Amino acid sequence: MNDDTPELPNTTRRRALMLGAVGAAAVVSIRPALASTAASISTCEIPVPDSGRAGSYIAADGTVVPAGTRGAFAPPGRPFKGEEVKTALAGGQLPGTNYEQSRAYTNYIRRLQSGTSGFTCFASLQMPRG
Amino acid sequence: MNDSRGDIVYRMARPETLKIVHLDSFTAVFHRASGITHLVTSPVPEILAALGEAGMTRADLMARLSVDYVLGDAEEGSLDARLEELVATGLVAVA
Amino acid sequence: MRHVFQVRIGPIGFRIGSDWRAPIAQLETLYAAYPKPEDGVPDFTVRLFAARPWRRVVRPAVMIGGDYILPEAAPLPLAQGLLAAEMGMNLQMALGQRHFLLLHAAVVERDGKALVLTGVSGAGKSTLAALLSLRGWRLMGDEFALLDPATGLLHAFPRLVSLKNASVATVAAEVPADRLGPMLEGTPKGTIRHLVPDAAALAAMDAPARPALILFPSFGYDSATRDVAQSEVFVRLTQASTNYVAMGERGFDALTALVQGVPARAIDYPDTDSAIALVEAAWAAR
Repeated sequence: MNDDTPELPNTTRRRALMLGAVGAAAVVSIRPALASTAASISTCEIPVPDSGRAGSYIAADGTVVPAGTRGAFAPPGRPFKGEEVKTALAGGQLPGTNYEQSRAYTNYIRRLQSGTSGFTCFASLQMPRG
Repeated sequence: MNDSRGDIVYRMARPETLKIVHLDSFTAVFHRASGITHLVTSPVPEILAALGEAGMTRADLMARLSVDYVLGDAEEGSLDARLEELVATGLVAVA
Repeated sequence: MRHVFQVRIGPIGFRIGSDWRAPIAQLETLYAAYPKPEDGVPDFTVRLFAARPWRRVVRPAVMIGGDYILPEAAPLPLAQGLLAAEMGMNLQMALGQRHFLLLHAAVVERDGKALVLTGVSGAGKSTLAALLSLRGWRLMGDEFALLDPATGLLHAFPRLVSLKNASVATVAAEVPADRLGPMLEGTPKGTIRHLVPDAAALAAMDAPARPALILFPSFGYDSATRDVAQSEVFVRLTQASTNYVAMGERGFDALTALVQGVPARAIDYPDTDSAIALVEAAWAAR
């Protein structure tokens, strides 16, 4: 940009800007690393939500809300295996769920904190081989 | 035609909630509230800059971008899709 | 825990407790030249234990425990107890490390500058690091690169180098036998043999280095070198980090600074001689 030139609107110095297609994405969110793991690691389980809050519902953004909250999803009824979660985090879908349920549950899993049951399993999905 | 969404004001999330680092054609954005890192590419940085903290409606944003840039594909749907993405990831707030 | 071993590797101290003597004896031999944890206080604990009292003796199987555990992880046979100890140390770092940003990478140093070799498992990082350490480079580690967010420096973490399958013979041909651990066959990752880092690597263990070049090696292709754009390096390194998300903003700052300040190349190679040549050429041209 040449500082000597006065700012003029609608000059030929405007550059092109593509707004992109409706289905395309301009925002990529970094997901936890999903390094390949040994078979034994993939058998670990993640309950949704953790047993201390069993029965609570999961909102679309993954937060835990009281049972029956409108717009939130009932818990899946069984914990998910590490292998299933790995697939879901890579863009697939959790078994036995529809698209919205799967998205809500995976958002819950992404928010897991150290100390909550399932966190270690989730964190193990990031562990490098060797 | 009256658009019920026409008066929604979109504004960039407050600056203290975002950390922005430019890397070649992509910009890395750390969203402090969620701890999530996003990689964004054109037209997102331009939209964020235009919206700023004051914010503007969709129509005003489209008008502003048309003035500042040569818009290659100025369909209403495209801008909607971008705004939806930005709201979903927390980079843009609605008033 | 009847048998205990303590060791310091770079800035990290470990305490390994075991129900069996054998893995501890192997650790004592292979890590003989390493120091003990600072002030005798370890950062992480690893436990090698039998799931049931009789499994200590009948078809002995080693469960990996410690400060951080994997629920329902399968045990290893006692013959692979050394591997269990190494995996246990990896696990503690992968899950518990919060001071340094961890990258799954091999690091070697020359003239105070560090070369980072990163990429998916099987790309040849450990093998290349071992071979480079025999050609004038100081080994800083073959598993984890420790990046200090405050300084941008890499800290050495020179564990036993994990050689797998074909690379065992390649490297064994160039080192004396007393630097090699036992041959472990039938492990979940195939055949593994550990290499003890050389005296120079251990002597310089506490000397950090400024990262100067990041390489993404790929084995099994015709020789080629390509630049890698900063944004691509950034994304690939978040995938190669076990604690990027947990580190929060410090991780973001450390990684963006690294990516902006250090050039990156992808190198494809068909064999190790070509790899060494490409590495040296990329280093000279950085």
